[in-house]
Amino acid sequence: MIQVENVLFYGVLLLYFGAMILYFVFVAAKKEGVGKLAQGVQLLGLVLHTGAIVLRGIASGRLPMTNQYEFATAFAWGLCLVSLIFIRRFRFPLLGAFAAPVIFLIIGYAAMQSKEIHELMPALQSNWLGFHVSTAIIAYGAFGVSFVLGIIFLMRDRMKESGFLDQHIPSREKLDMLSYRSVSLGLLFLTLTILTGAIWAERAWGSYWSWDPKETWSLVTWLVYAIYLHLRIRKGWQGKAAAVFAVAGFVCVIFTYIGVNTLLPGVHSYK
Amino acid sequence: MRFAILLLVILAAACVVASFITQGQSYAWYASAYSERKAALIVALGLDDAFHSWWFIALTAFLCGNLIFCNLIRLKPLLERTRAEGDIGAALAGPADVTAEAVADPLPVFNRLRLPQLQEREIESKKVLFAGKNRLGLWGPWVCHLGILLLILGFALGQMTHREWTVYGVKGDTKAVGDSGFFLTIDDFQVKLRPDDTVEQYVADVSLFRAPQGSTAVPDSQSATVSVNHPARLYGMKVYQNSTGYAARISVEEAGTPLQTAVVCAGEGIEIADAPGLVVYLNAFYPDFYLQPGVGPATLSGVMRNPAYLYSIYYQERMVGMNYWQPAEGPITVNDYAISFSEPQSYTLLQVKQDRFEELALAGGLIVMLGLLLAFYLQPVKVWAVADEAGGWTLYGRSRKGGALFKEAFSQAVDRDSKGEAK
Ligand code: HEM
Repeated sequence: MIQVENVLFYGVLLLYFGAMILYFVFVAAKKEGVGKLAQGVQLLGLVLHTGAIVLRGIASGRLPMTNQYEFATAFAWGLCLVSLIFIRRFRFPLLGAFAAPVIFLIIGYAAMQSKEIHELMPALQSNWLGFHVSTAIIAYGAFGVSFVLGIIFLMRDRMKESGFLDQHIPSREKLDMLSYRSVSLGLLFLTLTILTGAIWAERAWGSYWSWDPKETWSLVTWLVYAIYLHLRIRKGWQGKAAAVFAVAGFVCVIFTYIGVNTLLPGVHSYK
Repeated sequence: MRFAILLLVILAAACVVASFITQGQSYAWYASAYSERKAALIVALGLDDAFHSWWFIALTAFLCGNLIFCNLIRLKPLLERTRAEGDIGAALAGPADVTAEAVADPLPVFNRLRLPQLQEREIESKKVLFAGKNRLGLWGPWVCHLGILLLILGFALGQMTHREWTVYGVKGDTKAVGDSGFFLTIDDFQVKLRPDDTVEQYVADVSLFRAPQGSTAVPDSQSATVSVNHPARLYGMKVYQNSTGYAARISVEEAGTPLQTAVVCAGEGIEIADAPGLVVYLNAFYPDFYLQPGVGPATLSGVMRNPAYLYSIYYQERMVGMNYWQPAEGPITVNDYAISFSEPQSYTLLQVKQDRFEELALAGGLIVMLGLLLAFYLQPVKVWAVADEAGGWTLYGRSRKGGALFKEAFSQAVDRDSKGEAK
């Protein structure tokens, strides 16, 4: 089963790469059909990716989100899912051209991690850990989308006028709304992630919050998005400043995820 | 709110700085890790324990003050706005985000915008239709801020009042739980292994009872099984299976007759009764011992395949010997004493904790969630239609938070409606 998972994983990697290239061609050649094809390839990748994750779950007999490889591939899955929802729901294929490279980077990072399945140490055997990481995946996926939207927002003003881009990039006002939508989805799930994480920590270690660097950084991320929300409701700060915070928020997300494990010490670092 | 944003920025920045400095170390530690000057700065600014420093607490207190203030002054306007949100007159008098003129039939538009509960009124001899929804959403930020307050309050009170003790020992031990007035008995302790020798779970059966006061009656007790991730609540205190280590029995004989014996945990020792100042320590135990060249002793697994003990002997607080010992070697002789180790076993380290405000913090967290849900997913929307002279309707829509997306949904609902019909 694990071999099948492995084959699927590399298939997904290729599909995401293909989708990325197709999105680029869509933008460069300004061909609507290619944009549709790119979405199709991304969707196929998502379906196979789901299959790979389910297979790994069955093979390991648990939620497959407990080591760096498993979490990275799930992170890519979450971002792929949320971005596809935004692309379809808001008819915004250009979003794919920006999201696909991020998805590809994350799944590429996953490919570099050890894929071995280990038995879980007792502290990691918890349903709360399951809720904790699954909510984190949705939160991270949503924040990934708001990051991409923030980049598009900031680039929008620098782009040359062209009928194609005008048609495919929403107005500043709508971009700002989409970004708000994705940040609010992300913040809701980040709050759930922190709450379930605290409940898990309390049960596993007897203390629900101990200012471990990973906890501290999730709080920083949470605060950055809270600042984003408050900036947005102030006149004159909507748009650009908010977009900068949406981008900064995702930098915090990535740092919480990778930087803390590699640069700072803490209880989460055994993951 | 400018002050609130500033506070949030400063708090975030403080957390970032503190996360890069290892917390809770001594001046000497920082001096060797950084430099004397930096160490002095770190200690002076309280950055060695940033999250409990006066300035961090002050920032948090300011935040709470701000939240209380905000929520208090916004309470009345919020009540008024909630009332106004469902009021036709207020809608007509206020601005609209979008309008559509000469709509033949407004009903499908209301339906498409999922606003089925229409109010109908005659105002200034014009027919007016009105529908609104999600008024409760106005309360989202208020509820969210209340939740944050409760969360911080629960956390702070917990920090100030919680009590915590650790108890460790082997099966059969009864020990005092610090100064709590309780005793804890370890009825059993097991390390459950999987077929591949990795640890599946640490399971302790424990009983807690109040210190007997004078009488010889058997005291009431409460018992539970605790394992990692499954604490138990006894007498309002929570017991956690926190850690483990090895223990073993040290036996001392003199000229073939047993002199003394006791089970000790790794790191502990016994003083030989006949020889004051002579102490035997069990430093470590290796169930599956092997000596890794250049690295030192290690254990290959948790299974008792090749047990070995690391011991040391002190006399008058000076170490006089340290070595590995395996049962096949026969007793260790020190002066006239023969020392041996046996009955290797795991001891458990349990944490006993009392935090009366944990539930308050949890309630705060759940209220934050509720507030966020209200703020993000119940966005107030109102739409009203005023009959015009030509027999059509002018439609107005307002959703302060819906922004461009609401305008788009509104236009689509109107457009689809007018398809095939004369505008
Ligand atoms: C950790 C701290 C805070 C968090 C997580 C937080 C969260 C939020 C959220 C989620 C919203 C709703 C935003 C939206 O729906 O777009 C909001 C709005 C707001 N917050 Fe905060 N907040 C915090 C601190 C504060 C503080 C200290 C103040 C004090 C003045 C404040 C004042 C406001 C105001 C005035 C609004 C606007 C409400 C509205 O537009 O109806 N916030 N906040």
